[in-house]
Amino acid sequence: MTTADRPFRLAPLLALLHPGRLAWPAAIALVIGLILGWGGFLVLGLPRWAITAIVLLVLLPVGILKWRDDLRRHGFTIMMLSILLITQGVHTIEHLMQFAQYYIQLLPARQANGLLSPANAEWVHFVWNWSVLLVVLVLLRGGVRNPPAIALLVVAGAHAIEHTYTFVRYLQVLSELRELEVLRVTAQGLPGIIGRDGWLARSPLTQGTFLCTLPGITTAMRLDVHFWWNIIETTLLLGAATWFLGGHPPTLVPSWWRAREWWGARRARQGTGASVG
Amino acid sequence: MRSMALGTTLVGLLVLAACAAAPAAAPPPAAPLAVTHTARDLAPPSACEGRFVAHPLGVTTGARMREIATYASNGAGLAAGDLDGDGRLDLVLASIDREATILWNDGGLRVVPQPLEARFTRAVTVVDVDGDGALDITFSHRGRAAPSLWRNLGARRFAAAPLPGVDSYAYALAWADLQGDGALDLVTGAYDAELKNFGLTPDELRVAGGVTLYEQRDGAFVGHRLADRAEALAIGLMDLDDDARPDVWVGNDFAVPDACWVRQGAAWRPDYPFAQTSHSTMSIDWGDLANDGRMALFTTDMNPGDVSVEVLAQWLPVISTLEEKHGPFDPQIMANTLQVRDWRGAWQNEAARRGVDATGWSWSGRFGDLDNDGFLDLYVVNGMIASNLFGYLPGGELVEANRAFRNRGDGTFAAAPEWGLGDTASGRGMLPADMDGDGDLDVVVNNLRGQAVLFENRLCGGAGLAVDLRWPGSPNPYAIGARLELVTSAGTLRRDVRVSSGYLSGDAPRVHFGVPAGATLERLVIRYPDGAVADVRDLRPHTLIEVLR
Repeated sequence: MTTADRPFRLAPLLALLHPGRLAWPAAIALVIGLILGWGGFLVLGLPRWAITAIVLLVLLPVGILKWRDDLRRHGFTIMMLSILLITQGVHTIEHLMQFAQYYIQLLPARQANGLLSPANAEWVHFVWNWSVLLVVLVLLRGGVRNPPAIALLVVAGAHAIEHTYTFVRYLQVLSELRELEVLRVTAQGLPGIIGRDGWLARSPLTQGTFLCTLPGITTAMRLDVHFWWNIIETTLLLGAATWFLGGHPPTLVPSWWRAREWWGARRARQGTGASVG
Repeated sequence: MRSMALGTTLVGLLVLAACAAAPAAAPPPAAPLAVTHTARDLAPPSACEGRFVAHPLGVTTGARMREIATYASNGAGLAAGDLDGDGRLDLVLASIDREATILWNDGGLRVVPQPLEARFTRAVTVVDVDGDGALDITFSHRGRAAPSLWRNLGARRFAAAPLPGVDSYAYALAWADLQGDGALDLVTGAYDAELKNFGLTPDELRVAGGVTLYEQRDGAFVGHRLADRAEALAIGLMDLDDDARPDVWVGNDFAVPDACWVRQGAAWRPDYPFAQTSHSTMSIDWGDLANDGRMALFTTDMNPGDVSVEVLAQWLPVISTLEEKHGPFDPQIMANTLQVRDWRGAWQNEAARRGVDATGWSWSGRFGDLDNDGFLDLYVVNGMIASNLFGYLPGGELVEANRAFRNRGDGTFAAAPEWGLGDTASGRGMLPADMDGDGDLDVVVNNLRGQAVLFENRLCGGAGLAVDLRWPGSPNPYAIGARLELVTSAGTLRRDVRVSSGYLSGDAPRVHFGVPAGATLERLVIRYPDGAVADVRDLRPHTLIEVLR
């Protein structure tokens, strides 16, 4: 079996995500970003989301260089895949932070809003999820067509719809609050379509039916709902990428992996020769 | 020889195992108790209109306050009971800003108000504390005050009397025979948040606040401290562990979790029976919803029943400030709960599945068979007035309609706006009681900054059976805590005699059964608090029976 015949191979994915020659610049940028963010916090009292934004902005040039390398080496589709893998990973960290803030730090649900979302959770997640959906469409068009990718399209589409619903409700409630001359209250964090107190749980159509108490679907709080949305999306993305890269020409297979395979094949040949002899 | 020894050992082990597995010896079945009963016809049913009709009662609490802020915003309760022995249920309305009022029921929904010198009151119960056969009145009060007792002197006269030994400050209170000695005991719960506003220090709160069980012994009360900290809005005394004895459930406001205690021998031990509870438990009620012998427990909380954009905008500025840091494995959710036992016997919250988890800023939530179909319905009163919270709304008031729910017959609920109970006054204490004596439950609400209202039941169909238990010579002459089972051709209906439930409110010790049209009454089984069981036959619908033990 050749490298190209295997749909699931982890090594190409690791090779794609590896910063390669940019490892040190990435590390240095991260340290600089953290120092700037910490300094901004100490001197200017910057909020958490601003510190996070500073770190991400400092890391961005390194990321751009990395993705330029990906474009030169592997083409547009794999570059987009690389972008999505890294940024979705960062986004998942955001949800992991929310999860930790709620379940470990025991913050109230509204305060357990991650690193960047305190800026404005509705805008951040609305823009983010539509961006993910667009990139997934680009990937499909570029040839990333396998079962996990199709599932990812469905989940990302549903997730984007969910955030569109919460975003529209957010804007409507904000408008109502302005009419009440309440200007200092945020309307972020409202339930969406699914989850506890969401549209599905509270719709007259579902009242008194099992749909009101579907475990997780209509009972989980928003923080949990979106944590799992992202875990599922990230898992599917990793599956789609692994599948796709496993069938890609061996430029994405690192040299140590190729050496390992060569050594295995050599031993197999030797073993066959011994039995014949 | 060896096989014989082995066989003997096996038999011995089996016998031991059987002994170990055998349940504790059940008490021998009590001989049926000899009781007598008299029946008299109820008043003719009111006109059938398919709805309730509101009658303002001319009494308002909170009207004297220029501005209502927390925690005057929590309003006051009310209680019902036949205070003058004329067979009609009278009302007592507590008031946060003036003296309490007795509304004497002169029949035909005519009430005569009489002020009672109990001032700045919160919770109220009508209960025969001293066992003399006349119903007394007990109150909790705003601020630094222990509960008060107003002894019934007869001829519509009351006098303040001491509750010797009762010295804790109280917001919620409830009465039942908790120690099993026949006398009624008292449980009080303080509302620490308000006491802090009245200047109590944390050390003082630990001494005078919290939850206390007062055991009544020879007319005096001996306090047993159950908790040092409480934000008690409601106290429910019901059987939580299936031992046929009442336990204690204190519903706490804010992030203070609800607390339960069950009796273990002579002691009370904390219990944590619920996987989920309301966050700010404002009311507790219980009943058999599907006539299957399974008790359901209902609590209210703040959760918008309507999630339209307009309503959410009204709620959001306040609700976003109410969340507090939660503890690990915090069972609290900001919603009503309806606890029902699952197949393992564990309590599960089924409020959402049964359609009653979100009813608004809900205070009293009470069961009662409002349509006389044999199944307990649900009524919840809503609204909030607090200038410091809702200053952005006209009058600082969150206006919400009360909500009625019809039991579908399986313990699930359907909204019943057609009953005309969707009043938008800011309801607090509430109770269902047959005020016009016509066999159906009317509803009385003690509104804040609005007149108290009696909703006369003019629904159609079914009949009622009212039951008064009398146990003269006992320290518990109204048999508080007795459980009643009415066996009918349409099923067995279960109720209990109680004097306190819901939010700050006292029940009349008169049990109401709704009897569906066409159903026949077979017998009434009465299980008294001391374990005695009586069987009453020759029952007719649309009567008030008095059972004398």
